[in-house]
Amino acid sequence: MTFEQPACQKCKSPLISRLFCFSCNALQPFESEIDLFEVMGISIDFEINSEELEERYRRLSLELHPDFFEAAPEEEKRLSEKASVMLNTAYSTLREPTCRAGYLLFLFAKGKNLNERTLPDGFLQEMFFLQESLDELLESSDSSALNKMNEDLRTRHKEIESYYAPLFKNFKDLPEDSDILQQLQTHLNAERYLRRLLDRIPLTD
Amino acid sequence: MAYSEKVIDHYNEPKNVGSLDKSDTNVGTGLVGAPECGDVMKLQIQVNPETDEIVDAKFKTFGCGSAIASSSLATEWVKGKSIDKAMSIQNTEIVEELSLPPVKIHCSVLAEDAIKAAISDYKSRRED
Repeated sequence: MTFEQPACQKCKSPLISRLFCFSCNALQPFESEIDLFEVMGISIDFEINSEELEERYRRLSLELHPDFFEAAPEEEKRLSEKASVMLNTAYSTLREPTCRAGYLLFLFAKGKNLNERTLPDGFLQEMFFLQESLDELLESSDSSALNKMNEDLRTRHKEIESYYAPLFKNFKDLPEDSDILQQLQTHLNAERYLRRLLDRIPLTD
Repeated sequence: MAYSEKVIDHYNEPKNVGSLDKSDTNVGTGLVGAPECGDVMKLQIQVNPETDEIVDAKFKTFGCGSAIASSSLATEWVKGKSIDKAMSIQNTEIVEELSLPPVKIHCSVLAEDAIKAAISDYKSRRED
């Protein structure tokens, strides 16, 4: 999926990022509901080129940094601050698979009436059981059992993250199929429960 | 975000933490979750089948302070009530009692859901 190539408001060159023109170095005014993919100048897709994202982030954060606008007019100074915040939001959202999947789902699910609370069958019972088991393990400080649980949960977490890419690929071919988005919603909900469990396990070396 | 004093009280000293015997036919169990934040809440009631009065209630919640406080308060409120009365407890009453901010309203919804789930579990088990 692509979007219409926007142009620089000053020199009319095509923009890579909606925040800044690399041709004439002009900051670009933007709306706060701006698409995060447009902020980074990458196409709207779950599959991203991480190196490109990193590189784009590095370049933009240098160009937008408020330190460089100290002497600029007040309006431009404020815009550079606003743009830097937006850049950081876009980068931190898109770099991480679950956040990226969640954001894409938010974009694609508009007007689709998804049930936001779906979980796999029996999942809640299992999560409650695991939370209680974790309570016991934390109390007994059984480090080998804790490590084992940590490993198991991480494996499952990875497994959930591996479901995103094929589902988004299917959705590209079948953009009318809300069921694909519902499945993504279910996985993202399950991911949140697993992360809550993982967050409770103290880190060991 | 600052928690209200009542939330902190319930969080530091939650009332009625624990569990009741799931296999007892006078016990109803509600297990509910809030996928938007990964919370899971179990609320159990013990009912006197002669009078339909809730004689005991226990909960265990894995979640934020507001979710724990909401379920702690819910167990306090249902105790001594008839199941019909308990069924009519609204989440807005929990919001008001605990002064929950808008972002934590779903915690009170969860507690209301848990009460209802426990009661309907009790009823369906009595029918079997």
